[in-house]
Amino acid sequence: MEILDFKSLALSTIDRARALAVTFADLRIVRSEVTHAQVQDSRADRLGHSVAMGVGLRVLVDEAWGFAGTDDLRPAALEETLHRAVAMARASSDHVLDKGSVASVEAVQASEIVPVKIPAHAVPVREKMDLLLALEKAALDDCGDVIVNSVLSYGDGLGREVLVNTLGTCIDREVSRCSLSCHFVASDGKLFQRAGESYANRAGFEVVKDLDPEATTIRIARIAATQLKARRPPPGRFPVVFHPSVTGLLMHEALGHNTEADAVWAGESILAGRLGDRIASAKVTVCDDPTYPDSYGSYEYDSEGVPAQKRVLIEDGVLRSYLHSLETADKFGVKPNGAARAQSYLHRPIVRMSNTYMASGSDPVDGIFDGIDRGVYLKDGSWGYVFVDKGQFVCHATQAQMIENGKPGEPLRDVSVSGMMLETLMDIEAVADDFEMNKPGMCGKMGQSAPTNCGGPHVRVKGLVVGGV
Amino acid sequence: MMSLAEQALEAATSAGAEWCDVSVGHARDVSVDVENGSIKSVDSAANHAFMVRAFVNGAQGVSSATGFEPKDLVRGARGAVAMAKAAQPDPDFRALPEPSHEDVVAGLHDDRIAGMTASEAIEIAVRNIAEARTVESKVIISGGVNFDASQIVFASSTGIRLVKRSTVIQVAFYSIVKRGEDAGSFYDFDSARMLDDLEADRPGRAATEQALRFLGARKVPTRHMAVVLGPLASYSFLRSIAGSTNAESIQRRRSFMVGRRGTCVASPLVTLTDDGLIPQGLFSGAHDGEGAARQRVTLFEDGVFRSHLHNSYTAGKAGEPNTGHGGRTGGIGPTNLVVRLGERTAEEIIADTDEGVYINMGSVSPDPASGDISASVDFGFKIEKGKLAHPVINTMVSGDVFEFLRNLDAVSSDYRDEPGNKLPTLRIRDVQVAGSQ
Repeated sequence: MEILDFKSLALSTIDRARALAVTFADLRIVRSEVTHAQVQDSRADRLGHSVAMGVGLRVLVDEAWGFAGTDDLRPAALEETLHRAVAMARASSDHVLDKGSVASVEAVQASEIVPVKIPAHAVPVREKMDLLLALEKAALDDCGDVIVNSVLSYGDGLGREVLVNTLGTCIDREVSRCSLSCHFVASDGKLFQRAGESYANRAGFEVVKDLDPEATTIRIARIAATQLKARRPPPGRFPVVFHPSVTGLLMHEALGHNTEADAVWAGESILAGRLGDRIASAKVTVCDDPTYPDSYGSYEYDSEGVPAQKRVLIEDGVLRSYLHSLETADKFGVKPNGAARAQSYLHRPIVRMSNTYMASGSDPVDGIFDGIDRGVYLKDGSWGYVFVDKGQFVCHATQAQMIENGKPGEPLRDVSVSGMMLETLMDIEAVADDFEMNKPGMCGKMGQSAPTNCGGPHVRVKGLVVGGV
Repeated sequence: MMSLAEQALEAATSAGAEWCDVSVGHARDVSVDVENGSIKSVDSAANHAFMVRAFVNGAQGVSSATGFEPKDLVRGARGAVAMAKAAQPDPDFRALPEPSHEDVVAGLHDDRIAGMTASEAIEIAVRNIAEARTVESKVIISGGVNFDASQIVFASSTGIRLVKRSTVIQVAFYSIVKRGEDAGSFYDFDSARMLDDLEADRPGRAATEQALRFLGARKVPTRHMAVVLGPLASYSFLRSIAGSTNAESIQRRRSFMVGRRGTCVASPLVTLTDDGLIPQGLFSGAHDGEGAARQRVTLFEDGVFRSHLHNSYTAGKAGEPNTGHGGRTGGIGPTNLVVRLGERTAEEIIADTDEGVYINMGSVSPDPASGDISASVDFGFKIEKGKLAHPVINTMVSGDVFEFLRNLDAVSSDYRDEPGNKLPTLRIRDVQVAGSQ
């Protein structure tokens, strides 16, 4: 059955929830279909296909939340799932000190369909494999025997969802995603160095069809090869310059997670009670924007059916807003801003980021290294994390360069840097006039992952601890 | 479910699969989430899933689904074969595992966990919150209780037929205590396959007691000093080292362990065994994800790298016995880790350390290719003159994995016990510490 065939079942189940006198209920029926292909060491020897379908049902009863998920979509099973969700809520209601609530919002009735030029499911698997093999071959031809292992992974997915709630919202959507990642390992016989990158967007096969090998696989394989000759970064506190990918990673990890209103409401975030305060250099403006065009972290409606909107988190150094779900918006007494997302039908919506970026500034990018006698230029941000209570964060960059006498020079190997979020935001000395947002990835929180993107301009920071030797 | 699995095998074989395996299972999962000392939500999930893996000329096709009907399994089996045929042949594939004797590992399924109610899990969460508040009345505590019960049948074209029942319960809490601008925090947990192995009420109190110790963190200087890994930090370090013996990474030449087998890579104090057959062990099971019998494997003996961890593919390619560490679709991973313990207690090791950093918890893992370590000390103390002097902040440790392993000069005699795994304290001398002082 197609997902829309379940729409009337979803609506009738929500009617049943109303009859049970719930304060609020929402229901998402989701079907996702994913195809994978992998090329490793010049051979496309692994293909896969998966289908997941089910329903997630959430209720607010007696000011307590209950959630139940199942893959059984028969009407009787849905009825049982509804009763299970209610039972879950009732079981905890005596122990809920922070009463559950939802903001009052207007019902939304809409369809969201991600435009697709080339439907990925219609592309023969042979063509997908050939694309991977060609991209890999270009890199291997360019770099030669120094590359000892290469893995290219392709994935496309088609997600369909019907979302209804007791406020009267009814949204159906069809979201296509396509991605390609490449990882190369180079070796000189003693040392092994790796580099990798992902290319992903909300669209069809056109996301990867015309990828330029020079800008993708050849570039990444060359980085892995170059890293063999690079030395370890020095240890200690240094002035640093971030490449836009590292700026984006930093804004996502160090700042973004601290602006998630669930962590703020719980008193965990270091930004609790700081709205309106100056928390960053006046050069800093940071946004989280699910309406950003053509980006992996975008969406039109969140998983609670709230229309997506751009959120200005920091404006000229001042903390302006948090990211909200229906519940946190009610608790803070503000309008919901569409930041609740759920990974699948087995997960309830939680507060998440989308496309998080620092706006470009007015400092010429050509002068970004000026005034640094000895520092580190961090390129190719790869991962990071933050402890929201302390604001202590870590960012990892796949490659780096020494900065000496105001110029980037000697290549350095991959490295992590650590800092304290509030110190680092204040220590931002220059925000360049360039901009790049090309870091599609999956962000993890509370056992759920969500598609995100991040970016920004080149940025100069007075000092961070570099984990070198 | 077994007859469904056999129908899928039949369909795959008829469609031209040379080798295939099928798993069909269902799971029930309940989570009680706590946010700032209040029950936030109680979530329940019930799910069914199947996976069919087919091989043609060594190429692999995989099909999986949830929310399926019986006919979808047969369709999935045919789809897996079509994908295996479309993929490129792999001459290094030899065979899927053969049936082995039924080695029973006790204590992997507890009817008491399988029959647990949400209310019982809520009670555990409430007791943890109360215990935490006896330590610090204003603690900000989050986390919760999760239990899961599953049953999976597995069938392969080589004749393996298995029924696996499994339960697991975890209680985990993160506590934050604040004093003005200062915050101290810590995470603690307990996990078990059997309810009797669970110290259900301990994590909330333990996390809060530790969180208080992290108030007043200070910056440290940049210089070489000893690093002492407490049980949770040593666990993370040793699991990453055990993971580096993965035969696929070595065969594919993407690991710092390439060409190291049989050589001394660590201090003679390092003897580390992977044992997936320990009763009640968190990572235990009679068989791996491909239905191969798990083997006890000595990974490192007196500092010498002895063995790779294999699945059916890497074992066949190397012409070596399969150690039974395969994942369901071909990955490789360690199970329970058993470390040879030392002579001195953790307290004695710290008392014997003039200057160093003690890491309570956090990932100190090498890059899997280069072996470079560049890690943040997320929860740690400065050691001065044999004592934990003060918590540290904004501190990193770095070096090379072999430098860390060779400079490992103490393994404690006492340890934290997690079912099937003993987590000792380790000391590594002369590590580069980077701070912002």
